[in-house]
Amino acid sequence: MFDFSWNMLSYFPSSVSTYSDAHDSLFTIVYYLGVGIFLLVNSILLYFVWHYRHKPGATSYHYHGNNIVEFTWTLLPTILFAGLGLYSDEMWKVMKYPSRVPTPDVEIDVVGQTYAWSARYPGSDGILGNRGAKYRSNTNLFGIDPSDPHGKDDIVLTGEFNLPINKNVVVHLSSVDVLHSYFLPNFRIKQDAVPGAWIDVWFNGTKAGKYELACAELCGGGHYGMRGVVNMQSESDFNKWIDAKNAVRKQVLAAEAAQPKAPEPAPAATTAEDAGHTEHH
Amino acid sequence: MEAAVATHEHGADHAHADAHTHEHVHHTSFIRHYIFSTDHKTIAKQFFGSALFFLLVGGAFALLIRWQLAYPGEPIPVIGKWLPDSLVSNGAIQPGFYTQLVTMHATIMIFFVIIPIAAGSFANFCIPLMIGTDDMAMPYVNMISFWLVPVAALTVLAGFFVDGGTAGGGWTNYPPLSATGTGHTLWVVAIFMVGFSSILGGMNYVATVLNKRAKGMRMFDLPLTVWALFITAVLQVLGTPVLAADASLLFLDQVFHSSIFLPENLLISTGNLHSGGGQPILWQHLFWFYSHPAVYIMIVPIMGVVSDVLATFSRKPIYGYKAMVFALMAIAFLGFIVWGHHMFISGMSPLLGTTFMLSTIVIAVPSSIKVFNWLGTVWRGNIYFTTPMLNALGFIGTFTIGGISGIFMAVGPIDVYITDTYFIVAHIHYVLFGGSLFGIFAGIYYWYPKMFGKMYNETLGKWHFVLTFITFNLCFFPMHMLGVGGHMRRIHDPYIYDFLKPFQPMNEFITIFAILLGFSQLLLIANILWCLKYGKVAPRNPWKANTLEWAAPAHPGHGNFDRDIIVYRGPYEYSSPESKKDYLPQWIKPATKTSEKEHEAIAHEG
Repeated sequence: MFDFSWNMLSYFPSSVSTYSDAHDSLFTIVYYLGVGIFLLVNSILLYFVWHYRHKPGATSYHYHGNNIVEFTWTLLPTILFAGLGLYSDEMWKVMKYPSRVPTPDVEIDVVGQTYAWSARYPGSDGILGNRGAKYRSNTNLFGIDPSDPHGKDDIVLTGEFNLPINKNVVVHLSSVDVLHSYFLPNFRIKQDAVPGAWIDVWFNGTKAGKYELACAELCGGGHYGMRGVVNMQSESDFNKWIDAKNAVRKQVLAAEAAQPKAPEPAPAATTAEDAGHTEHH
Repeated sequence: MEAAVATHEHGADHAHADAHTHEHVHHTSFIRHYIFSTDHKTIAKQFFGSALFFLLVGGAFALLIRWQLAYPGEPIPVIGKWLPDSLVSNGAIQPGFYTQLVTMHATIMIFFVIIPIAAGSFANFCIPLMIGTDDMAMPYVNMISFWLVPVAALTVLAGFFVDGGTAGGGWTNYPPLSATGTGHTLWVVAIFMVGFSSILGGMNYVATVLNKRAKGMRMFDLPLTVWALFITAVLQVLGTPVLAADASLLFLDQVFHSSIFLPENLLISTGNLHSGGGQPILWQHLFWFYSHPAVYIMIVPIMGVVSDVLATFSRKPIYGYKAMVFALMAIAFLGFIVWGHHMFISGMSPLLGTTFMLSTIVIAVPSSIKVFNWLGTVWRGNIYFTTPMLNALGFIGTFTIGGISGIFMAVGPIDVYITDTYFIVAHIHYVLFGGSLFGIFAGIYYWYPKMFGKMYNETLGKWHFVLTFITFNLCFFPMHMLGVGGHMRRIHDPYIYDFLKPFQPMNEFITIFAILLGFSQLLLIANILWCLKYGKVAPRNPWKANTLEWAAPAHPGHGNFDRDIIVYRGPYEYSSPESKKDYLPQWIKPATKTSEKEHEAIAHEG
């Protein structure tokens, strides 16, 4: 009927970051531990159930249990599970602790809005302009402070984002309306985008290619269509791409400066590459 | 067992006679007797009936969800053309309706099926009978506890008829999404009401177990079902007020335009939100502070039921009775300090993540103790494969899978990847269907004779178990694979995503078995209804069990017992050398010539 494998590990999407490799190793350990426990418990259960089934004249053993046995099967799982917890804690710290977020090579802001993802790149000055919730509007999703000169050249994209591989990418994540969740299956990363908070997510990609970005937190009827694409490129390809974007942004700014009054202080989206959620298979 | 059943047919008429000659019966009108009854057994039946009804409703919603995932955009068979355009287009489920179905399926199954049947029906039926008393400590409170449930159910379902539809934020209904729309307000009010029902029930159970035990019955003479229900009741009393508080705060945001959960300057055009200064994650902390213990409210009573069924049909004492009690207490205590594992991706402080990860993993210890002791109970037993026993054994197998997938969820870095995917859907169904519902089936069949005075049909019961067990596993096990593949939950059309397109055939496979699983439950309904009228009349103690409910007449009337109950021993003296039989009930006097005769008389009398 379809390709089916009993090995759950074979279903992972391809692993494309330093973190996803480490995640899959930890998952494999827990997986085989789980398979072991399952086989142990269920084979014992099936054996007992079959072996001690009622037979005419049979009697059962009047026995209330044994404290040494209880103690043993309390202690062993405690050691096993506490060990697993302590072992996996290091990975949790690497991913989540603010002190462990590496020095960013590339830093972007990402916000979720029903039902699309948008990103802000620092522009040609390499600095993200200040932002504040009070400046936020439908034409200024990131709430860029209009008085901060660093914000003027920032680039805002919706739907598809390019990023370099073999670099530490730090994403400052938030939302402008309801909860969303920034889910990159190939990177094994998921983080809720919470309005009113900016949360750091980081990764270091290892393979070039286009990877899907999903929303994993129910955000309304159109939730299923909140799809984005992360395009992981080699450093040189990425630099070419960002230089082209910066050039376009410069032209827009020059044109705005030439006109006496700029109607919109914040950068509008320079591109509206198809986010994919309108196309249906 | 069958032989035992066959020899006791003459019993029930006598039992009915008991019920009708009892003084209370003459004084109650039809309404007080059947509708606004304060009798714990009638209330148990009311919880039971309403839960079975909502099981079918919630199951129907699940099948609509499965239809959409297997065949997105295809018209729903049969009913598609009858639904209004606000829900379907050309008979196919619309995205907004899909999120409502997801929300209502979970809300109904959790708040109107499993909690009412485990902590409502079983608790009401079993506690007074198993501790040898006439009724609950507070019968009127008990009646109110039931009647809040249908009112709440009507409130939440009324959402389908209001502007914007019923609640569609998932059963967890995180704000800011849930801060808009009349449907969400109705949901919050309904949750407040069922929460209140739960609190009233819980305090009643605690009071009853502590104060109304039969003469001679110490706490460590309680059957594990009563221990489990008692510990559950403590969870209900301590946990549910927090849910009520959370619901009230959201109600303030919705109706009085406060901004407890709403931060500054949200770009939300619908509704009349006042946003500013609030904190969305606060909802999640309060919600999960209740809802993690709520998972134990749904599983702990069932662990007790399964223990009793295993001991009875293995004809063997529970292995490690006190260890089982302490393990239940440990699970309940840990249940209050692990809620953060539902929030590993929420953006809470990562320091908390470390704490919650360790506390959560430790829950595997008392859970393992329970599984090992169940295995110890079956070991060297004399096992009868009745329908309740099959369901209890099925429970151990599937609950083990749910427990193991729980370890994945407990490990923070792994949870981050598989949470909000089909892996968590598989996990929750292995715990709440594979665990709770199989245990509930075991309990329904086990106590059916005492509840209705008739025997269920064993053949039909076994077919129901076998079909349910097979279709359940074929339906839910592949969901683990979907989850590892990254398949998100609560998405109307997965195939928007390229990486999910290959999973369409697997979703179709799951849907086929979901439909078969759904229709298999008609065997349960048929068995219950058919045997009410045509079932063999039940004897007083059809399973030759030890606990006190079997000392009561086959179909006990108001007041329960037709003799004074004194407890002489623990509940699990099966195959004791003290008795020639393979059981020695709690109410039998220690062996003398006369008590042996009395034992014979009670056990074999109807």
